[in-house]
Amino acid sequence: MALTKKKEITTNEFDQTIVGTSLTKEAWKRLKKNRMAVIGGVIVIIYSLVAIFADLLPLYPYDQAITSHRNLRPSLTKTAGELMLEQEMKNLFFQAWRQGRLVLTEEEDAQIEAWVAASKTNNVWDLVYERGTQALENGSFEWSASEQRRIDNILEDIETETLITINSVSAPVDGQMVNIEDMDYETLITLYASLIGSDYESVNQSMYNEVSATVTNELRANDSSLTGEDLTAAVEMEMDAMGEDAFQSRAIQNVIGYIEQLAERGASSDINTMITSGGAQLPYRGVFDLSNGLHVELEVSRMHDRRYICGTDYLGRDLLSRIIYGSQISIAIGLVGTITSIFIGILVGALAGYLGGKVDYYLMRFVDIMYGLPYMLLVIICMAIFGRNIINLFFALALVSWLTIARMVRGQIMSLKNQEYVEAARSMGVGTMSIIFRHMIPNSLSVIIVYSTIRIPAFIMQESFLSFLGLGVQAPYASWGSLIGDAVSSMALYPYKLIIPSIVMVIFLFSMNFLGDGLRDAFDPQSKNQL
Amino acid sequence: MTKYIIKRLVGMIPTLFIIVTLSFFIVRIAPGGPFDGERALPEAVKRNIEAKYHMDEPLIVQYGRYMFDVIRGDLGPSYKYKDYDVNTLIAVSLPNSIILGCMAMGVALIFGISLGVLAAVRQNTLLDYIPMSLAALGLSIPLFVFAPFLQQVFCMTLGWFPTTGWFMNDAPLRTMVLPTVALSFAYYADIARLTRSSMVETLRSDYIRTARAKGMKNSTIVFKHAMKGAMLPVVSYLGPAFAGILTGSIVVEQVFLVPGLGKFFVQSSFNRDYTLIVGVVIVYSVILIVMNFIVDIVYAYLDPRISYK
Repeated sequence: MALTKKKEITTNEFDQTIVGTSLTKEAWKRLKKNRMAVIGGVIVIIYSLVAIFADLLPLYPYDQAITSHRNLRPSLTKTAGELMLEQEMKNLFFQAWRQGRLVLTEEEDAQIEAWVAASKTNNVWDLVYERGTQALENGSFEWSASEQRRIDNILEDIETETLITINSVSAPVDGQMVNIEDMDYETLITLYASLIGSDYESVNQSMYNEVSATVTNELRANDSSLTGEDLTAAVEMEMDAMGEDAFQSRAIQNVIGYIEQLAERGASSDINTMITSGGAQLPYRGVFDLSNGLHVELEVSRMHDRRYICGTDYLGRDLLSRIIYGSQISIAIGLVGTITSIFIGILVGALAGYLGGKVDYYLMRFVDIMYGLPYMLLVIICMAIFGRNIINLFFALALVSWLTIARMVRGQIMSLKNQEYVEAARSMGVGTMSIIFRHMIPNSLSVIIVYSTIRIPAFIMQESFLSFLGLGVQAPYASWGSLIGDAVSSMALYPYKLIIPSIVMVIFLFSMNFLGDGLRDAFDPQSKNQL
Repeated sequence: MTKYIIKRLVGMIPTLFIIVTLSFFIVRIAPGGPFDGERALPEAVKRNIEAKYHMDEPLIVQYGRYMFDVIRGDLGPSYKYKDYDVNTLIAVSLPNSIILGCMAMGVALIFGISLGVLAAVRQNTLLDYIPMSLAALGLSIPLFVFAPFLQQVFCMTLGWFPTTGWFMNDAPLRTMVLPTVALSFAYYADIARLTRSSMVETLRSDYIRTARAKGMKNSTIVFKHAMKGAMLPVVSYLGPAFAGILTGSIVVEQVFLVPGLGKFFVQSSFNRDYTLIVGVVIVYSVILIVMNFIVDIVYAYLDPRISYK
């Protein structure tokens, strides 16, 4: 029998149409009234957009470390070069003060001694720098020859040192220019062989050696007990198991790196002559055709012209870009963890709730026992022992976090089980799975979604907690937690490293909590602010 | 009731058994062992060491041996801290962790309940907004942000408290303030919010209105009638809260250098100090399970509607 949907328009006595309001519509209305929740939602959206489109933002690469830019303080106005110079001068002024060449008043001397005793280095530096520059201006202080040389060196570096970023390299293949990133393995190897004046076979062989060397290192890092023949055998097995595709993608990465190095070296002499002759205004974006046929698009900029709004870390990496790429990871872990735990929770909870009886009993006893476990401790053990990578982290967190959702779904399903529409479906011969997933789960979805919004900040906190202990995300990747964890040890000297990521993280958690609370109040007005 | 208590006590045994088994095997399945250093030991030396700790036996025999020891209350020798056994290490460090945890829980309960009740009674006034916005902060600021922040402000800038240490200088009590505050903040937040919301609900209920109609004093209504009912959600929250305080104290102990159990836990996981890891997990689990048990009993006394059968 075919059922046709009839569209009935209900009207009241004044011939006005009555539109039934759905639960979602009501909830949406209530949510919009909750100002804090709306602000929270907007902030969460902004964060997500920044995290998604991080690659499009004009950021310095998060893994690129310029060693001379270590520990620069955040500054909106000064370039990295100026900050480097300032830091060097602070050091020199302080040494001069120690040697008695920089003369301050007696009170200031006593003050500095007190600061040194309390290890308030920043205060000392600032004071010495201020007095020192004044003394330089009015001529009561002069640099010694060696100090002058150090300052001149830095000034010269600032003037001359450049940073070359390769945007793309292409090479002629069959008369056409092809980007090397798009080439397949064989063309790439042939190209590289011809560039370095070797033949395909030997390059292929050396690539194989390189990849197997990396594999050896990885194996040794995972299991230090492997030595000698065992190791060789394990490496061979690993290389066999890797397969052609995986091997080639690894090798291609290496070769592209080499060709880019070649290209950079080839172009650098041209660039140098251009800079010294004053023919180019830096930063310079240019195209070079090298004598060996490579076509390079690159960007030359003054290395010390960079501006670090949030400062740099102990290796000279830009903190802003690390925070933004870190939020990618933190938010992703929050989302993926929640989604995984929802999936497991729905599955277990729905089965237990619908099937009832023995299945329900054993599943719920299992959940009870899991509840009794100190699960963060188990996660810590897993991370410490099975290696600290992101996949393990997802796995470990998802494994322990589905319990509450399972209980909740079970309750929902049990209350829906005896509803008329479920009985109707059952009497029409719909299968169990179909009833659960087509009819009952969609009906309890709003509760689940609301609960999971509340879970996301908890996930982010757990991930950050692990990263803080050094068990989570490993460098060069970062997450909010690992950035904060790195910064704690040096917070007296570089407080900005701690403060900036903390603020970023707290704002996100704050808005996420408000959004979650708002959603819950909107969907379930009865429960005002229950935990 | 007695029957219920006994049943729960018996029910703890399988949970503990599963925890011990699980952590025993997880630790041992993983690659690497406690005696793998930077430099590989000579084969004979390694074999001797392993024989000394019975690690050359099949895993199942090791497991049986370990379980037998644990039942006798012996958690075995530590593999990394030579000359110490796990019992000693735990006996030295556990009291510090327990003091810290209890202090934090106490502070969180006192402030959370009193401010939560105050907020509920004086709804939508400044006395409501201030504690509740503090609680919202506590919910969003992770412990490992808050603890260094406290250190920065109160130790470095203001110099009121010693940065680190635990009962070690001339003013021992001052060393306890910051770790306790740091650890209790998040739980204050939860408890205050819970207390407020359940108190608000209770104050709206019929029996409170009846009490008001009888002309009872407001303080009697709040403290005698409303409190008892409103505390139920808080009590049931205490179980998970203890679990959180256990893990949270790992961070606090690391930041403020408190010589507690948390330090051993993280270090021993890195070191593959098998017996110490499992030992610490057992201790933590026992604390957790006992706390859950006590919470359930207290709940039953507070709420006569619940019958445990």
